[in-house]
Amino acid sequence: MNQTLILSTAPHVKTARTTKTIMLDVLIALLPATVAGIVFFGWQALVMIFLSLVSAALTEFVYYIVQNKIWQDPKGVCVKFLKQFDFSSLVTGLLLALVIPSNIEGWYMPILGSVFAVAVVKMLFGGTGKNVVNPALAGRVFLFISFALMMQYPAPNFGALLDTTGDVMTGATSLTSGLAGEGTLSALDLFLGTGVAGCIGETCKLALLAGGVYLCVRGVIKWYLPLIYILVTGLFAVCLEGFDFGAFLPSVFGGGLILGAIFMATDYTTTPKSTLGNVIYFILLGLLTAGLRKATGIEVVSFCILLMNFLVFLIDKAIPARPFGSVWKKADKKEGK
Amino acid sequence: MKAANGRLFFRGVHLRDKKSLSSAAAAEALAPVREVAIPLSQHIGKPALPAVEVGEKVKRGQLIGKADGYVSANVHASVAGTVKAIEARSDGRGGNVTCIVIERAEEDETEFLPPLNDPSAEAVLQRVQDAGIVGMGGAGFPTHVKLKPASPVDTLILNGAECEPYLTCDHRIMLEETDKIVRGAKYIAKAIGVTNIVIGIEKNKPDAIAAFESTDLKVVALKKQYPMGSEKHLIYVCTGRKVRVGKLPADAGVIVQNVATALAVCSAVEEGKPLIERVVTVSGAGIETPKNLICPVGAPMAALAEACGGIKDGAVKFVAGGPMTGAALTGLAGPVTKTSSGLLFLTAEETNADEPTNCINCGKCADVCPMHLMPMQTAFFTAAKEYENAEKYGGVLSCIECGACSYICPARRPLAQMIKTAKAELRKKK
Repeated sequence: MNQTLILSTAPHVKTARTTKTIMLDVLIALLPATVAGIVFFGWQALVMIFLSLVSAALTEFVYYIVQNKIWQDPKGVCVKFLKQFDFSSLVTGLLLALVIPSNIEGWYMPILGSVFAVAVVKMLFGGTGKNVVNPALAGRVFLFISFALMMQYPAPNFGALLDTTGDVMTGATSLTSGLAGEGTLSALDLFLGTGVAGCIGETCKLALLAGGVYLCVRGVIKWYLPLIYILVTGLFAVCLEGFDFGAFLPSVFGGGLILGAIFMATDYTTTPKSTLGNVIYFILLGLLTAGLRKATGIEVVSFCILLMNFLVFLIDKAIPARPFGSVWKKADKKEGK
Repeated sequence: MKAANGRLFFRGVHLRDKKSLSSAAAAEALAPVREVAIPLSQHIGKPALPAVEVGEKVKRGQLIGKADGYVSANVHASVAGTVKAIEARSDGRGGNVTCIVIERAEEDETEFLPPLNDPSAEAVLQRVQDAGIVGMGGAGFPTHVKLKPASPVDTLILNGAECEPYLTCDHRIMLEETDKIVRGAKYIAKAIGVTNIVIGIEKNKPDAIAAFESTDLKVVALKKQYPMGSEKHLIYVCTGRKVRVGKLPADAGVIVQNVATALAVCSAVEEGKPLIERVVTVSGAGIETPKNLICPVGAPMAALAEACGGIKDGAVKFVAGGPMTGAALTGLAGPVTKTSSGLLFLTAEETNADEPTNCINCGKCADVCPMHLMPMQTAFFTAAKEYENAEKYGGVLSCIECGACSYICPARRPLAQMIKTAKAELRKKK
């Protein structure tokens, strides 16, 4: 018997699912939205998505080489890199492309965003699983702040920003005009994304929901978390509008809420660990989103998620473990513990 | 009695059970081995003290190791022959254990205890202690200690869940020795003074459920969910009672015994046969013909592999016990013990052993933790050596070490191992 045996502590069998397959699932779930984006916004969208994906993956590759100080043996480096590559950079790249408008004036913008998202937000903090905030959203906000003019209202199909007048310039996703009943788009249009302006991936809610259902079925995300976020946002918006239920559908289907709820807010690394913590997190997120939307009049889903990302650690700190068979503290005292 | 459906417990994990590899193979006796090495410590508690000397002739069933104190168990000769040595031998897991090595003689002389007819509660307890019976589910806690609970009990639960993948030893004895298990359970019930006997069997063993439905035990059919055979969860699904944190099952009025233990008790009472053999499942994709073997305690594991047609080339991991809680073996030098339920030869495809990567905080470990703990928190704080926080946020001390968290972890992190580390450190401080 001349073979190498593996020694480790129990358990000795493991599930086939790895980080890589989870990320692959997310990529598959994003496919419908990607296709819808390309159909709606044409070759420009395709170029954006391509640039973003390639630069995200390349950034990680370069970072890997620099980090491990491997300069020689290019073939060996590639093999090693591919062995540990878990597709999370591709998810970041694709998500980033889906939350920027297709006709921004500058092919370098998705590249800059991807480099920032992967290198600064993710890799500098320690790679997959160590980032404090969602890399794709951080990349988007980085672009948004750096290129305010370009990102602001470049064309009718950038609808992430809302305006108060229902101006043509911002396109028809305009939340407030929808709320006021002035919108020319029906809720069905908003749902399908037909004729709606917006970022590449956020307009077709049907495609996003299809991806969301896939993720739920595959057990990647929990179905109730995005639902909580979406419902709380919608209902709180209704409250803020003076219990006008006409505000529910536009605020749910308008802007980037669905994309944010299904693909951004549920990012594992930047959500609390416990189920209770997650429920609290998503309720707070919903309240914050609806409140800030009302207060600022612009689309704030990405900012809200980033803000809440910083609260994750505090939420985790507030919730101690409660093992099976625990009794509430009062009962403990009664038993004379 | 018609089987009732068990409750469900929240969380836990669904495993591919792989039991069909060996579940149809009737238990068969292992061909006689040349020598056996019987460890003096096969149980929780103090090791037994040797009661024989080198060169002495022993009969099958003779006492060779005397229990040292109350929480300890007797050890008996599993073959007739001559004591060749009393020495430290490999336990197969990288450690050494003191063994009494017996070279088998040609003639098979037996010396069992006198059979008991309609014994009293005290007689059963005494017999259980004399026969060296320990919990055969895996932990190996001396049964006579467990049968004298500190608080009053009203229910005996027989554990026939066998929730570990691959293992079919309990399944086979439930089919083949149904009546003896029932009688054994009744002796145990008599010893602890209860009349309510429940047997819990997972639904992936419908033939075993049917076998017990024809007896007068209460049968509970359990969902196939890991770890259904955990004491606390079995009690909950069978009776609806929760064992409080830090308490024993007896505090909930229940005693749980494995079906194999019940079988051993029956043999000890009716035939006077001490615990000297048990059924071991030899399985996995790395063995030629998976089998259930009746092995004498102390038989070398290599003999088991040989009896099953030998090891295939692809086997990369040998495991004693079940795949979720068993121990990895450094080789086949170790002996079968009273608690060996399985000997598995796993291929790379089955083990999926990869290098750990970063935790991605997916929360799947917490989703499957049957004790509702937070393994990722424990791992995080254990890595930082903050064991108090590991207990506060992770709840380490309640861990039952079922391994579900490590099984499910997509980043392949050794969560169960880190929990065990934290537990050991916390115990040290107390």
